[in-house]
Amino acid sequence: MNAPSPSPPCCHAEGPAASADGMERELARERTLLRRKVSVAAVLTVLVVLSSLPHMLGEGHHSFLPPWFTSPWTQLLLTTPVLFWCGRDFFSGALSAFRQHSADMNTLVAAGTGIAYLTSLFSTAFPQVLIAEGLPTDVYYETAAVILTLVLLGRLLEARARGQTSEAIRRLLQLQPPTARVLRQGEPVDVPVSMVVVGDLVQVRPGEKIPVDGDVIEGSSWVEESMLTGEPTPVAKAAGDTVIGASMNRSGSFTFRVSRVGGDTVLAQIVELVRQAQSSRTQVQRLADQVVGWFVPVVIALAIAAFVVWFLISGNAVLAMLFLVSVLVIACPCALGLATPTSIMVASGKGAENGLIFRSAEALETAGGLHTIVLDKTGTLTHGQPEVTDFERLPNGLLPAGTLLALTAALESRSEHPLAEAIVTYAQSQLKDRELPAVEGFEAVAGRGVQGSIGGQHVRVGTPRWLEELGIDSAALQPLVERLEAAACSVAAVVVDGKIEACFGVADPLKPTSAAAVAALRRLGLQVVMLSGDAQRTAKVVAAQVGIERVIAEVRPADKASVVKRLQEQGEGPVAMVGDGINDAPALAQADVGIAMGTGTDVAIAASDITLISGNLAGVPAAIELSRAAMANIRQNLFFAFAYNVAGIPIAAGLLFPLTGWLLSPMIAGAAMAFSSVSVVSNALRLRNFRPAPLPVAAS
Amino acid sequence: MTNLFAANLIHTEPLWRAIDQPMALKVLVATVGVALIAWELWWFLGRHGGGVAARESAAGVQEITITVDGGYAPSRIQMKAGRPLRLSFHRIDPSGCVAQVIFPDFHKTLDLPLEATTSLELPPTEVGIYPFHCGMNMVRGVLEVVDRSAKS
Repeated sequence: MNAPSPSPPCCHAEGPAASADGMERELARERTLLRRKVSVAAVLTVLVVLSSLPHMLGEGHHSFLPPWFTSPWTQLLLTTPVLFWCGRDFFSGALSAFRQHSADMNTLVAAGTGIAYLTSLFSTAFPQVLIAEGLPTDVYYETAAVILTLVLLGRLLEARARGQTSEAIRRLLQLQPPTARVLRQGEPVDVPVSMVVVGDLVQVRPGEKIPVDGDVIEGSSWVEESMLTGEPTPVAKAAGDTVIGASMNRSGSFTFRVSRVGGDTVLAQIVELVRQAQSSRTQVQRLADQVVGWFVPVVIALAIAAFVVWFLISGNAVLAMLFLVSVLVIACPCALGLATPTSIMVASGKGAENGLIFRSAEALETAGGLHTIVLDKTGTLTHGQPEVTDFERLPNGLLPAGTLLALTAALESRSEHPLAEAIVTYAQSQLKDRELPAVEGFEAVAGRGVQGSIGGQHVRVGTPRWLEELGIDSAALQPLVERLEAAACSVAAVVVDGKIEACFGVADPLKPTSAAAVAALRRLGLQVVMLSGDAQRTAKVVAAQVGIERVIAEVRPADKASVVKRLQEQGEGPVAMVGDGINDAPALAQADVGIAMGTGTDVAIAASDITLISGNLAGVPAAIELSRAAMANIRQNLFFAFAYNVAGIPIAAGLLFPLTGWLLSPMIAGAAMAFSSVSVVSNALRLRNFRPAPLPVAAS
Repeated sequence: MTNLFAANLIHTEPLWRAIDQPMALKVLVATVGVALIAWELWWFLGRHGGGVAARESAAGVQEITITVDGGYAPSRIQMKAGRPLRLSFHRIDPSGCVAQVIFPDFHKTLDLPLEATTSLELPPTEVGIYPFHCGMNMVRGVLEVVDRSAKS
């Protein structure tokens, strides 16, 4: 079966918060009603248990309770509202499910308590029939009431705990301030965020939250984006910089032009992606799902079988009935059903808190079991903003430096390559306002360089390897190339009319956390591979600086995906690829887990399975640690849920009775069931305490 | 009348004694028990009729309304491949368990307010079986995407 690709984030014109509000209110209302029902059920159940005490303690005990209070009719009166008001939803749910040919938790609870209640009712109304048969006229109202109250209590605790699993989303939704100070005819006016449109000018004062996304046009400040990117350090913002809605302005004031509102904002995209991830399922869950599908009908069959077998063994219908009730109420399909989704909910929410956006549960699952991680050099390990560090004329060069810079800048200004941009910036800083000559016949050769004619001269700017391929004598260039590449620079040589005149050394500075992040990845046991378009020597120097031993260099952008594929074919998978999400999209898609380094505003990067909003490589080991923690948590939950049912049902069916004399009271069975799903959810909630391990001190 | 810890009961309560029952009654109980198990398994696990086909609107969108009441009615929906589908859920069941419906293959979660109809549009999809379920993963349904040319 080919799973369809998830549809793009939907847009809520009114912003992300509104759609969740109604649901929140309904859940809160349900919790209040559930609390009321648990309270009423608890009071009545205590009275029923008190009423049944003389029978429980045996005939010999002196009873201080009046006979009318201990009468079966009083117990019937007290138990009826517990079952049919407090527990009404179990019965109506079971009935509706039955009509749909489906059976769930409600079926088991309603059948278990209903059978205990009906048996007792028969015993209360027609005791003479039982006496004639030689059977005791016992009643089991307290069993029905205790089971129902415990299950209700379990459901309340579970509802609370489940509410906490989606806390991260709720917190994200609450980040957006309700109003924005928009300039209307030059005057600041407070308007609801839903009324803000793209192009509006919004003022932000110190200590205020930024309402929507935009670009600063005036003023400057430090902005705290940790709630969205996970980066603790405030970021400086000045004219031209992008600000993200829901981040916190600290000291300065500024005005920005709104660029995105409603469902297009970074916040809305994060919320939508987290919700999407929470809606997906892992491979391991598919197994649990299959079991849940036939679980309840099989449990009902086992309960009936327990009744028949015990009736045949003992001839005691009441004893057999108690086994039947125990089996029904101890089985807990909810624990199985909740085992995986709750862990995924908490883990993906925790990821969002740390600026790690998982696109699906499968991404969370696969990232935990990675073998190899491929890091693209530019923009991942480095800032992706190369700078010219050296400009060297060759000793036998003919043209003056100014002319060479002008020719190079003229040619490179037509290219979109990051190195070209660095060279143009450098040349212009040296040339001041000198006008650049016109270029004719411009051509860019991918992965090699650029060429064109300027004032009758043929000019090329490109890699030494290209020049070699063209047969240009580059012997004089070699010492320079060796020196620059040893300093982790990329080399671009300038050739005028077939003669090498000069060369540029361009370096892309490493991000400060790269070396530590690589060390953390190695500590996690991953094979770290660096992928680069640079010359072998340059790439190796950069790799050595961050502690990577395995380098695949001189890879053209189009070949990155095939490198990932080759690694997968060589049995080094699962392979993760970390890249910028735009140039590396095919490689990200090819990898088992594509990890995109966001720029803070691009959240929904299509090809990625995980997006790091901050663009900080330290997020990669954090994401892998979180995946491992989540998968360990899921395994614990599934083990508990399976083990609980596999062990609990035979005990409830009396399998151990012939060996040990152990019998399980239906009330204990009900309590065990009520708290098994609470345990699963509580275990999932432990993931809220997840903290990424601090980065190790890098070897370099 | 039961003690919380049943071990006591075995020794103190006359309830746990064996009662000699006539063989005919034992045979009857066993027969009824087996029949009940067979019927119950057939009722809950058997296949009861094919899916309900989504009807097609003039705009080419397939539409179906599903009632949420203890289960999904209908719970097996047939749709044609390659055409969009609009599913409308009408929830009348107050249980919080069914307040959400999740489509794992589409990475979609839909909140279902009580006593209201909520719609979800799914993109054109390939042939296959796409399950959906409630937030608790207990109530289930299936989208059965069949070949365009096949009869629905």
